[in-house]
Amino acid sequence: MVKEMESKGLTRAREIYQDRTLRVKELKAEGGSIIGYLCIYPVLEMMTALDLVPYRIFGDMGEPITKADAYLPTVVCPFLRSSLDLELKGKYAFLDGMVMAHICDVGDRVAHIWRSYTNYPYFYFIDVPHTVHRAAQEAFKEEIKGFKKSLESFTGKELSLEKLKKAIEVHNRQRTLVKELYDLRKPDPPLVSGTEILQVMVALASIPVEEGNELLRQAIAEAKERKGGHEKQTARLLIWGSIIDDISLIEMIESVGANVVMDDTCVGTRFYWPEVELTEDPLDGLAYRYLVGINCPRTFREAVFGETKKDYMADLESRFSYLKYYAREWNVNGVLLQSVKYCDTHGYEVPGVKDYFDSLGLPSTYLEHDYSQGSLAPLRTRVQAFLETLG
Amino acid sequence: MYFAGVDIGSTMTKVVIVNADEKICSRVVGLTGAEHRRLANEVMAEALKQASLCLDEVSFVVATGYGRLNVPFADRQITELSCHAKGVSSLFPDVRTAIDIGGQDAKGMKINHGNLVDFVMNDKCAAGTGRFLEVISDALGIKVEDLGSISLKATHKVEISSICTVFVQQEVVSCLSEGTPLEDIVAGIHDAIASRVVRMVKRLKIEPSVVLTGGVAKNVGVVKAVKENLGCEVLIPVDPLLSGAIGAALLGKELILKRLEKGESIPKKERRLEEATFFR
Repeated sequence: MVKEMESKGLTRAREIYQDRTLRVKELKAEGGSIIGYLCIYPVLEMMTALDLVPYRIFGDMGEPITKADAYLPTVVCPFLRSSLDLELKGKYAFLDGMVMAHICDVGDRVAHIWRSYTNYPYFYFIDVPHTVHRAAQEAFKEEIKGFKKSLESFTGKELSLEKLKKAIEVHNRQRTLVKELYDLRKPDPPLVSGTEILQVMVALASIPVEEGNELLRQAIAEAKERKGGHEKQTARLLIWGSIIDDISLIEMIESVGANVVMDDTCVGTRFYWPEVELTEDPLDGLAYRYLVGINCPRTFREAVFGETKKDYMADLESRFSYLKYYAREWNVNGVLLQSVKYCDTHGYEVPGVKDYFDSLGLPSTYLEHDYSQGSLAPLRTRVQAFLETLG
Repeated sequence: MYFAGVDIGSTMTKVVIVNADEKICSRVVGLTGAEHRRLANEVMAEALKQASLCLDEVSFVVATGYGRLNVPFADRQITELSCHAKGVSSLFPDVRTAIDIGGQDAKGMKINHGNLVDFVMNDKCAAGTGRFLEVISDALGIKVEDLGSISLKATHKVEISSICTVFVQQEVVSCLSEGTPLEDIVAGIHDAIASRVVRMVKRLKIEPSVVLTGGVAKNVGVVKAVKENLGCEVLIPVDPLLSGAIGAALLGKELILKRLEKGESIPKKERRLEEATFFR
């Protein structure tokens, strides 16, 4: 039985954002199984279908990294260092299991360390190809078949196609609702701020999917009732890049005279935009959605060979045209490209993305940060100066 | 009408007051120090005295620099990047690239018709800033203002291999113990700072004319090294410290003129010529 919630919608989202374990600790007390997952490649539908609660692993920009440095060099992704640090400090000790994936090199190392130093009843590592061609899709389908089997043996239950299809529908509904919420960022000024959106996104990653859908419905209704929305600003920004799971960066940007109205990050559109096609064998739809549908630079997707010849701009167009759609539909007039330090995956992508926005006539600037709230002060001047160039 | 620009940098605080004809009526430079919020009002009072003005006679005050948020008598805060771009263009209308090397940061600005269009910044590392020169001159036992003239006597530039300020200090000490002439070491240091800054600014695709500002532009040795690294001429303002404050004052004037054109009145904000009591 779902517990009576005292607060709803955006308020509830903020509460869960502030204490992410709020709901899962209750569920755990009621006998539920909470499975942590890192990055967006573990197949959530399979966990949901077996009544497991997927719980996304995030770092903490406000918590100094003290323990992880004994296990990882300091010149690697600070988000992963922070996530591992929290784990080593026992903050994820309530989990019943953990699913990790081959996302990037550092992600692999973190997975190995994580597995070695924890004693969760369940652990699984999903291999994810780095390309999207036919053979890669087939390989990935086999891989998630293995994941399915391991979940079945962990729970002692059979995952029927029926249950899986139902879970796909519930997760697809969440994706549709997220898009509905994002539509409320289209007016000028937007009806929901970038900060509020991120609080909702983080909350969704911390509660069961059905409850998330209810929260989304409430948040949408609440925002639609607003008159006039947020303060009108001259800048309507799209923010691109590596994970943003902490509101401090968005808050800083919104405090110096901009509305963040759209994103291409993995606690936003990258995670929620692609839906799963309900194929006859649901594994086909799932494999396609998770490997091809999710558009993260960790996967290499060149234009189809021969299609664009050696035309750089045509190649950019085929890879990034979705960004043009975001920019136009959400009426964006500036782009913030951002990445945590030492992220090869995003760092290598920046010149191409920047060239693409240049070709659209959209001004952009690139910020690098070390995933700590304290490092945001110097960025403030850069963001403000960028806004001043937008006029 | 008068317009004031207050530029609180990491090391120096600069105030400039201009009149409606953009003529500079007063300019004051003071050390920022650790308690800059106690100082901005004093430097401002000094500038007002120099121009024989009282604060109410100044139509608009723009604060800039990293201490810009702690100026209780400012009407508006604008980043130092936009202010430098404006200030440099008022001095050199044809400028397309400006490089500013300050006490704790270095920045490159791309300018088009007086407006900032793009920028790069180094603000988390002492290498390539004035602080680097302070540390090294300390290690060499000479005054920072003497570095420039000493380096001009160099016959052979020392190659500095480190980037980090702390390690360069060690490298310098070992050069000294090997008996390397002081002027060769200093010339090497200047080349190290110049090549670092120029490499960063080159990300902007440098176009002439290039202007160099900031306290470090007072060092003839660094100026020479920047020219060599850029492979082109570099212009220096008469007072390279002031371009940010000048730009701040001029941007204030622009804002007010725009308002007056639209038939709006000059906004009157309560200004307190006193020390800031809080950090924002």
